[in-house]
Amino acid sequence: MLLQQLVNGIVLGCVYALIAVGYTLVYGVIELINFAHGDIYMLGAFFMYTFLNFGVPFLPSFVLAVICCIIVGILLDIIAYRPVRYADRLAALITAIGMSIFFENIALLIWGADIKRYSREWIPHFFKKLFINLPNEHFQNVFLTVSYLQITIIVLSIILMIILHLIIHKTKMGTAMRAIAQDKRAAALMGIDVNRVISFTFALGSGLAAVAGIFIGMYYNSIYPMMGYIAGIKAFAAAVLGGIGSVPGAMLGGVVLGMAETLGAGYISSAYRHGIAYAAMIFVILFNPAGLMGKRKVDKV
Amino acid sequence: MKKILLTLSILFIAGFLFADVKIPVVSPYTGPLATFGEGVKNGALLAAEVINKNGGIKGEKVVIDLEDDMCEPKEAANIATKLAGDKDVYIVIGHLCSSATLAAEPIYKSAHLPAISPASTNVNIGKLSKYYFRNVYKDDFQGKFLARYADEALHAKKIVIFYENNDYSIGLKDAFVKEAKKRGLKILGTEAYTQDDTDFKPILTKYRALRPDVIFIPGYAPQGTLIISQARELGFKCKFMGADGLDDKIMLQNPDAEGLMITTPFIPDKAGPEAKKFIEMYKKKFKSEPNWFAANTYDAVMLAAEAIKHAGKNREKIRDYLASLNSPQKAFHGVTGATYFDKYGDCQKPAFIKVIKNGKWVGAEIQLK
Repeated sequence: MLLQQLVNGIVLGCVYALIAVGYTLVYGVIELINFAHGDIYMLGAFFMYTFLNFGVPFLPSFVLAVICCIIVGILLDIIAYRPVRYADRLAALITAIGMSIFFENIALLIWGADIKRYSREWIPHFFKKLFINLPNEHFQNVFLTVSYLQITIIVLSIILMIILHLIIHKTKMGTAMRAIAQDKRAAALMGIDVNRVISFTFALGSGLAAVAGIFIGMYYNSIYPMMGYIAGIKAFAAAVLGGIGSVPGAMLGGVVLGMAETLGAGYISSAYRHGIAYAAMIFVILFNPAGLMGKRKVDKV
Repeated sequence: MKKILLTLSILFIAGFLFADVKIPVVSPYTGPLATFGEGVKNGALLAAEVINKNGGIKGEKVVIDLEDDMCEPKEAANIATKLAGDKDVYIVIGHLCSSATLAAEPIYKSAHLPAISPASTNVNIGKLSKYYFRNVYKDDFQGKFLARYADEALHAKKIVIFYENNDYSIGLKDAFVKEAKKRGLKILGTEAYTQDDTDFKPILTKYRALRPDVIFIPGYAPQGTLIISQARELGFKCKFMGADGLDDKIMLQNPDAEGLMITTPFIPDKAGPEAKKFIEMYKKKFKSEPNWFAANTYDAVMLAAEAIKHAGKNREKIRDYLASLNSPQKAFHGVTGATYFDKYGDCQKPAFIKVIKNGKWVGAEIQLK
């Protein structure tokens, strides 16, 4: 039972991590908590649904859905956040909350309130197959099932995390992102096109959110306009737990949160699962306010 | 131009002479349970159409006023306050979710406004106010009935219960557990979840090695469908049972839910002649099969119209009229059978079990007498 719970926890954690990375990425560059991020994740799941519904095969649908979300992410930045970029930070935060409500209601309008499912024929058979299925003739008393979809979610989130790390630390764009994170005005003086780099950051974050939305849509097979809200809050908690602004931190935070929730629900009480997860977060923040992997900022006088 | 003005003014005066009778129908029409509201809406609109075609209420047209409470108690209380203060409202049809009904109930009570719920099954609703009636059975009956079915028809021995943390679900669970214990069935565990939960694997994992015969889900379909799919994915081979809350088309789209059994007050393929006519009209108008929400709401609106016709436009007298339907002889006969109220405003209705076969709801082969 523990083994299965660990698998459940890791998959749930990777799901949170995939969304949390988007939060942390945008925060790391422009110190904005992008509350509309959870809704981009929701839109990813719905774009995928729409393309599949039109009869587009799986892979092209996947690519199209991710591209659509990237476009939405860039537009979100240009239309909503750019005008308030140099204003008070609170203005951007309120804008983000407004955009979140806007996206939820647009989705309600377009796709309706009822829950949608990915039909069985749309999804490649590969994901349905079981990677491990116990008990079998060798293991009579061990219960463990792991599907290829679960393995895919774990592997994919690790790969995406590595790619992201490489982009941030090894490319010119990544260097520009880090420069802006340090000081927007100084970066602009050095000849960095700040708006372009921030748009790229949003594109990256939104693309990751879309991937998360699609795989979670497939994993739970239930998508609805409000799905971004709770997932967004959980992922935000994961990002804070790991240290907001730190990409590996978001990954670690997601897994810790997923584990706490799974083990809490499995061994303590299913009714208090969210409470247990948030309690774990608060516990970490109490002792280490910067989060697990966040850098502590020292203000110089 | 003059002609148009003349016609307009005639219409205006005519409108005054034949004032409409407004009947508010409160239910979730948006939000996660909007699909339930769909049946409510269609049932109410069809009832109004039939009433108006037959001359309305003493010549006055019935107008359905759809109010959306999104199944949220907070929203339900707001709407109830609005309706209670509206002089042209004599009776309310609603609400759908028990939690919403319980929130609205004290407001209607203090305004002496009678209400008929076509779908709220929580046990306490009738006892709390003499202004609340319902033409649906209660959870204690439904829960008991399901436990009986698990024992007598399915011969289940070990049962796990997943319930949502709300009035409806807890009431059902308690009634089921009480009856199951009396019958010596073993309840392996009862597990709570909330409306926001999507991941049930940790709790399911707990019960896999115990091999339950039946998983009972007295909740709503959005979570029900996830529980069933995730249980199948983990290799559960048990049967699934639920109550009327799982009656949703999303269940039919889920191939894992094949064989799911639920209670229902109304089965189209076992309906009487009156109901057959209703089903035909419904299919013609909405191009889909009516569910029990539609049938019960249709009856509730018909009953409300009947009450206004007999008692006039007076809240107190309408309540007294409804309360006077207290025996099978005085019952109101609708498409879901006879409706009459006990002293709490609750009613006795037969229950059936229906099951998903090849992606369609059909009456189960074994029905309890």
